[in-house]
Amino acid sequence: MSQIKTEVLIIGGGIGGAAIARELSKYKVDATLVEKGPDVGQGITKCSSTIMCQGSNVLEFRSEYHNSRLVWAGMTMMEPLCKELDIPLKRIGSLELIKNQEEMRHPEKMMRRFKEYKGKYIPDEVEPLQFIDRDTLRSWEPNVNKSYLGALYDPNIAVNDPVRLTIALADNARKNGIKVLLDTEVMSISKGTDEFEVCTNNGSIKCRYIINAAGEYVGKIAQMADADDFALYPVKSYQAVLDKKLGGIINHMVLSNENGMVAPTIHGNLFFGISPGTQRLGKAHDHSTDKKLADAALKNAQELVPGISERDITNSFVGFIVFRNFEIGWHECTVGVSRWVPRFINASIGFPGICAAPAVAKEMIDILRNQGLQLTENPDFDPYEKSMPDFSELSDEEKRQIIAKDPKYGHVVCRCETVTEGEIVEAIKRGARTLDGVKFRCRPGMGRCQGGFCGPRVTKILARELGISEEEVTKKGGESRNLLYKSKELLEAQQ
Amino acid sequence: MKLQDIDVAVIGAGPAGMAAAIRAREAGAENVIIMERAEELGGLLHQCVHNGFGLLYFNEDLTGPEYGNRFIEKVMDTGVKPLLETMVVKLTEDRQIGAVNAKEGFITFRPKSVVLAMGCRERSRGALNIPGSRPSGVLTAGTAQRFVNVEGFLPGKRIVILGSGDIGMIMARRLTLEGAKVEAVVEILPYIGGLIRNEVQCLHDFDIPLYLQHTVTQIHGEERVTAVTIAKVDADRNPVPGTQRKIQCDSLLLSAGLIPENELSLMAGIRLDPVTGGAVVDETRQTNIAGVFAGGNVLHVHDLVDNVSWESELAGESAAKFAMERDLGEKGTINLKAGTNIRYIVPQTISGQRDTTLYMRVNEPQENVRIKIGDIMTKTVRAVKPSEMIKIELSSEKLQKVNKETKEIIVSCEKRGGK
Amino acid sequence: MAKKETFICIGCPLGCEVTLTIDEKGKILGFAGNKCKEGEKYVFEEYTNPVRILTATVLTQNSAQPLLAVRTSKPILKTMLAQGAAVLARTKVKPPVRVGDIIVPNLLDTGVDVVASANLSS
Repeated sequence: MSQIKTEVLIIGGGIGGAAIARELSKYKVDATLVEKGPDVGQGITKCSSTIMCQGSNVLEFRSEYHNSRLVWAGMTMMEPLCKELDIPLKRIGSLELIKNQEEMRHPEKMMRRFKEYKGKYIPDEVEPLQFIDRDTLRSWEPNVNKSYLGALYDPNIAVNDPVRLTIALADNARKNGIKVLLDTEVMSISKGTDEFEVCTNNGSIKCRYIINAAGEYVGKIAQMADADDFALYPVKSYQAVLDKKLGGIINHMVLSNENGMVAPTIHGNLFFGISPGTQRLGKAHDHSTDKKLADAALKNAQELVPGISERDITNSFVGFIVFRNFEIGWHECTVGVSRWVPRFINASIGFPGICAAPAVAKEMIDILRNQGLQLTENPDFDPYEKSMPDFSELSDEEKRQIIAKDPKYGHVVCRCETVTEGEIVEAIKRGARTLDGVKFRCRPGMGRCQGGFCGPRVTKILARELGISEEEVTKKGGESRNLLYKSKELLEAQQ
Repeated sequence: MKLQDIDVAVIGAGPAGMAAAIRAREAGAENVIIMERAEELGGLLHQCVHNGFGLLYFNEDLTGPEYGNRFIEKVMDTGVKPLLETMVVKLTEDRQIGAVNAKEGFITFRPKSVVLAMGCRERSRGALNIPGSRPSGVLTAGTAQRFVNVEGFLPGKRIVILGSGDIGMIMARRLTLEGAKVEAVVEILPYIGGLIRNEVQCLHDFDIPLYLQHTVTQIHGEERVTAVTIAKVDADRNPVPGTQRKIQCDSLLLSAGLIPENELSLMAGIRLDPVTGGAVVDETRQTNIAGVFAGGNVLHVHDLVDNVSWESELAGESAAKFAMERDLGEKGTINLKAGTNIRYIVPQTISGQRDTTLYMRVNEPQENVRIKIGDIMTKTVRAVKPSEMIKIELSSEKLQKVNKETKEIIVSCEKRGGK
Repeated sequence: MAKKETFICIGCPLGCEVTLTIDEKGKILGFAGNKCKEGEKYVFEEYTNPVRILTATVLTQNSAQPLLAVRTSKPILKTMLAQGAAVLARTKVKPPVRVGDIIVPNLLDTGVDVVASANLSS
């Protein structure tokens, strides 16, 4: 069992923890991020919708909420951040559809509120909301149900890939000097006068500051240090990804007031989803999909876009929103020092958390300073990352060049998404150690057949590159091995 | 062979592609290539180590690899040029092909004709939308087949199979003979999805329980599958409350349908039939794009490989003819329309001028029926089932009965002896 | 006391359930449920001599291919399938092997050989 010392310990490798780590790497500080899984971004970050910059989307909530402020602040940071990290971000805009005359008053109210908050809470760069009429709606979105009367248009909404963003943030943090320890689960925390001793499955870590960014486990970690009471209030949402052939039929995120939505993804698919609002649903940490929610989501999506069919679903998953302290309102972020334990800082981001992450990270710097941490700038900070090549997006000529440089790019492994062996090897070089790790970096198995064809091949490449046997390859670490036995092993055991 | 001289380019070297390429050569096409993404010819036949192949085509009971080998040898003998480890990534509406491999990089060329023989893929867990958690150990029967028969691994030792397609039932037997325990085969329909001989020889022979009109309603386990819940379903295929039971298992195999793989077809703007999921073709197996043909499971999912071979030979022969003559003459102008209890008919259109082979499937099992092709011909059949294709040969003489103005012929399957 | 045993005929998509009546000595007294003569023939075979081709794989040595597909050259009694598979679990082959090469001669004294159903190169 090893024992290490670090100044700042970040617990949790989701978008929050990774963004904080990267922000800290701009300073000369000894910081460490621990993640219990084999990869970053694989908890609730993975289950989030890919929608970004939902600033004006939270106009409904009271402006003084921490959450709204962070989301608004974060939305203008997202685009430059993605540029630095070479992560695609596409502004699609959202259309909140208006069903009847009664709902017609809603856009007006929102536009008025937007004007009121602009400059005060909402940064100046944010584009104003607009009302668009029925004809415009039809010309923009000919495949949306024709019965809608118009829409509230928010041009700020964007999509990206939150897992890739998290990976890039962690990679960039590591490059700039932050230690990232994977497969490291915090088991207990004890408080000394000047420092904490954090016990993990891989040894103990002594640190002066703890940043609790454990996502859905934020309550569990806080409890270990008697630092806070979190009421874990899980709310399930449901999302389904549709076959790429439906890719172009919707261009904006379209949503109805029944909490249903349909939107394009950054990868050219279409997805739809439903969030049941503030209704408590599911047990804590239960990420299983259920038929009731799936059926409701499909019904909602078909109401919005009649061309969607159940036959076109290629995958579905549960989104998971964790609320704290729901009495004061919903969608609450908790970013700040524990009420009882100094130098223990919670960073629990509410919905829509992805968008708030860069702002939370910035705020963390001030909080740490207030708690006595000396932070001087890191003169060697390099803000840039180069994302890995995406073979399917290359031009014919670029394809020729990359294969000439490395013939592994001439070997297509995943036929649905046209992913080459070159990309898979690169993903492993960049830290992927599981099937999901490869999948979230370069997409084999994300397509129509969901890895039916490429699964055995990716398993082989992973085993070869990591120097392990194929049986040891897991889907997502832990007990998630894919192949439990060797051929003839069971028969031999019976003899 | 220079790329610009290629007469027929066949995409895919499974049973369909090999049969098409061989026949194209035999029909006189000079330069025939077969493009395959894997490192060898034969496609999925290598992993189908069971027998039952070639009963019709060779009049012998062969295994998949044996059936494949006969075609592989013929590919070599007839001088078809295989282009292995080559993935076609692009097909345009003017028959331009773009492909990649490690040796030549990215290549583009325009053959005189193209045969699509990309086969099909299995419906995944996502496509089936099965509720529950997301552990490892949920895989399609075909993926399991590759692991068990080619790669040398077993997914687990306590197995539940959802769907009673042929691959699922065959894997039930394979895994049992490898020492695993198959706890259940669960089928949502009131009848099996595959062939009767597989129900008898793969399930009954090994006392594997088959639950008809049941489905998996929940997958359990966080990291690895630990159990599934199954339940009876009603006539609308909705789970009946109170009928759930949990079955402990470490793997769930899915064998619930195949989907023709038409990524390239869509890219080229080929019109697809929403029912088959494959291209709309005429009796030469030509698609709406002149010089592009299709055969085998990429066109519609077949029951037997023998039929795949035969149909693809037809596509290969037409492709050769097109490459040499630049035109096939009469186009399909008469639509074949699915009538009573017919799910689909391939080809979807016919010219009425040539001998024509029709393949069709029914919606529901039925006994003592008459298949009517408009008023051209009637065939009596003792029994029909959705899992088994019906093949009907229409000679050009018979087709002479078709009136020149006919736009549509209704194909129906009716109970014999009145309504 | 006559016994009854049922079989599903695999001769055609009909899949008739054929009930066989057998006397105490195992003699067939009659068939019921089959809609044609073929059904009777099939069920007679299934009752008196139910045979199957055993298909399986064997482990390889010195080959990039971990497994080789094999089959029995002729059908064997279906009651011997599991035993046959157990024998094949202990069998290992080395390349080169051609389709049809004998892998296990006279499997379990059935007089039937297990042959390669695929090629194996080194």
